[in-house]
Amino acid sequence: MPNENNSAVVHVQNLHKRYGNLEALRGITFEIKPGEVFGLLGPNGAGKTTAIEILEGLRQPDSGTVTVCGMDPAREKGALKERIGAQLQATVLPDKIRVQEALELFAGFYHQSASIEVLLERFGLAEKRRAFFEKLSGGQKQRLALALALVNNPELVLLDEPTVGLDAQLRRDIYALIEQFRTEGRTTLLTTHYIEEAERLCDRVAILDHGQVVAMGTPRELVHSSGKGTRLEVRLAKPVLPDRLKQLDAVVDCREAEGRYFLHAQPPARAVAALMRFLEAEGNALLDLHIAPPTLEDVFIEMTGRRMEA
Amino acid sequence: MLASIRIALMTIRLVMRTKVALFFTFLFPIIFLFVYLGLFAHGNPAAVIYFFGPLVTLNIMGSGFWGLGMQSVMQRERGSLRRYRLAPIGPGTMVASNLLANYLLGLPTVALLVVCAMAFFHMPLQISLLALLVLVTAGTFAFAGFGLTIASIANTMQEAQVYNNVVWFALLFLSGVTVPLPMLPHWIQRFAAFLPATYLVTSFQAIMVRGDSLFAHGAEMLVLLVSGTFGLLFAWKLFRWEKEEKISRHAKLLALSCIIPFLVMGVWMNARGNLTAAWAETFSMMSRPPLSGEQPAAPTDANLLADFESPQEAENLLKRWQISTEASAAGHSLGELDLVSPGAAGTAHALRFKGHVAPAPDSDHGNVAVRYTFSLTPRDQGPRGIQFDVRGDSRLFQVKVEPPTSAFATPALSFVPDSDWQTVRLPAAWLAKPAGSSPTGTTWVLEILADGPPGDFKLDLDELRLY
Repeated sequence: MPNENNSAVVHVQNLHKRYGNLEALRGITFEIKPGEVFGLLGPNGAGKTTAIEILEGLRQPDSGTVTVCGMDPAREKGALKERIGAQLQATVLPDKIRVQEALELFAGFYHQSASIEVLLERFGLAEKRRAFFEKLSGGQKQRLALALALVNNPELVLLDEPTVGLDAQLRRDIYALIEQFRTEGRTTLLTTHYIEEAERLCDRVAILDHGQVVAMGTPRELVHSSGKGTRLEVRLAKPVLPDRLKQLDAVVDCREAEGRYFLHAQPPARAVAALMRFLEAEGNALLDLHIAPPTLEDVFIEMTGRRMEA
Repeated sequence: MLASIRIALMTIRLVMRTKVALFFTFLFPIIFLFVYLGLFAHGNPAAVIYFFGPLVTLNIMGSGFWGLGMQSVMQRERGSLRRYRLAPIGPGTMVASNLLANYLLGLPTVALLVVCAMAFFHMPLQISLLALLVLVTAGTFAFAGFGLTIASIANTMQEAQVYNNVVWFALLFLSGVTVPLPMLPHWIQRFAAFLPATYLVTSFQAIMVRGDSLFAHGAEMLVLLVSGTFGLLFAWKLFRWEKEEKISRHAKLLALSCIIPFLVMGVWMNARGNLTAAWAETFSMMSRPPLSGEQPAAPTDANLLADFESPQEAENLLKRWQISTEASAAGHSLGELDLVSPGAAGTAHALRFKGHVAPAPDSDHGNVAVRYTFSLTPRDQGPRGIQFDVRGDSRLFQVKVEPPTSAFATPALSFVPDSDWQTVRLPAAWLAKPAGSSPTGTTWVLEILADGPPGDFKLDLDELRLY
């Protein structure tokens, strides 16, 4: 059920939220356009869940303005919940509830609901319709959580870490399901700390760190705007000081970890030539060279000065 | 409302699928019925009626505190409330669904208890189904309120268990649920007037044993309903979806206000003054024949022990009746015996036991007893019990029958006479039998004790016989 006009489905302006001494959100601002898949990317504790829970109306912000589907989540919770679907980081249901019963129970809370049969088929749960929740695998539980998020045929879907704890194959299964949301024209907000997930699924991404948006744009824009360029991963016969590699032509940055050197180069061809000349002059040798385009992780590192730990 | 019904029906369905929940919801109350009535009623249908109310109360309390209350905390700790929070339903829906599920699960349990008590303990159902439904509804409402209030103020399961235990044990032992109120010290009976379970227990007993109308106990029902409403309002206002949300100390103190109706009721009932006497009267009626159902055989002259009709015999009889004002128990109490006319059931004479109850200056307690020693001749079939007719001042008396030397404390049966003759029955099960003996062929001492507040007393007694 796509939003038919072009006004933002989600509008967040200078949002602040504090828990005691911890400032979870420090004035974040972003908009989500109709039909867009928007990602909040950041490590644990960055403020992603707080932000999504404010949008769901589960938490009250300390200050700032929030509009979701044209409504204030704090004041129009009931009406808003009719129009959004949400999936929690960990969905816990009673052990002895069956899959179909859970979908029917939650569908019954809304004025309008999607077809349970269609949801069971779409999320690959038709054969498990009579299975108890306690008997489902992790992937099946997560698919049920996604199906529950769509039980009211929402125009905005909010997904909090939809693939956390799942193995790579199961993650890719969930990606395929979320990609359908875009084709259906649903607006989707997802939080994640998986780079791959944000790059693959999101039209736009806001990178969150310590409660602040440190970068925002399409994954491509963010990567291209990174001043660090292509990443060269190098293994050498003899150790050298990273600062010496950093001084090479076209090398923007260099750091060393576990015997490997990570160089950021722009343009990469000139940097590789300079590296070869340096090794020859030093009597050193190149054991391994891996060249990778920059990723959102590089953007994160550039913005925060550290890797994104899960 | 529809959402509450949906969740309640799902909760019931989930209970039916969980063996432990099924056991504690349906089977455990039945097992407990057999243990409880077996221990307390001794096969006496009148006693079964008396103890049935406490049994149902215990069941309602249990489901309120340990079923509903603990389940709410467990759901919150487990995180299963969070998913509901995303749906367009609020705390009121969750509280209402809990209450409804508890009620709908409780009704068949009470029905099972009624059926088992009637089938296995020959309990006549001396209560209309409407009155039973009203009592169970008011009780469920009140204790659901208490259980959910505790659940809403407890931050963890452990905390909820501590709160539950404190309230549970107080109600269990001080409100007539396990120990009949008239067997408790007078000051505890006065304290019991402040406890919610007391009103459910005593209303059950007054309606089932004494034949009171439900309307006579409207105040008690009202207090239970008002208190339940308070509790449910608190549960609604303090409802938390997630274990991370903690409750303030201020809110915990505020939640205590759901006991206000019971404070008001307790003060009022104590001020009325006839509270404990009414409980004692109901208690004493365990010795009367049930209001309906199988009646015991009419007494015959062969069963007569004393009727005071022949003045000559009466003189002899008087010698066998002894006043006991043993100093340690009696204080400054006094008693005397006399013959008065007319007696019970149109007879000429009756025995009058009168005197004055007065504690010693250093004590707050005093009593005076009259004792009668008699023997029973062996017979093929032992008597069902001993009965006598009484009338007198409306105050508490206790009666017990025991061997002259009894190695253990004999339970006493309390009764409150009034100006009309009434029959008091002491079932054989209440006789303190020496090990291995039958009630016949033994010397027995009947003791009637004038107890209670200081003051004059008068008790006429006649037609002492076996039945």
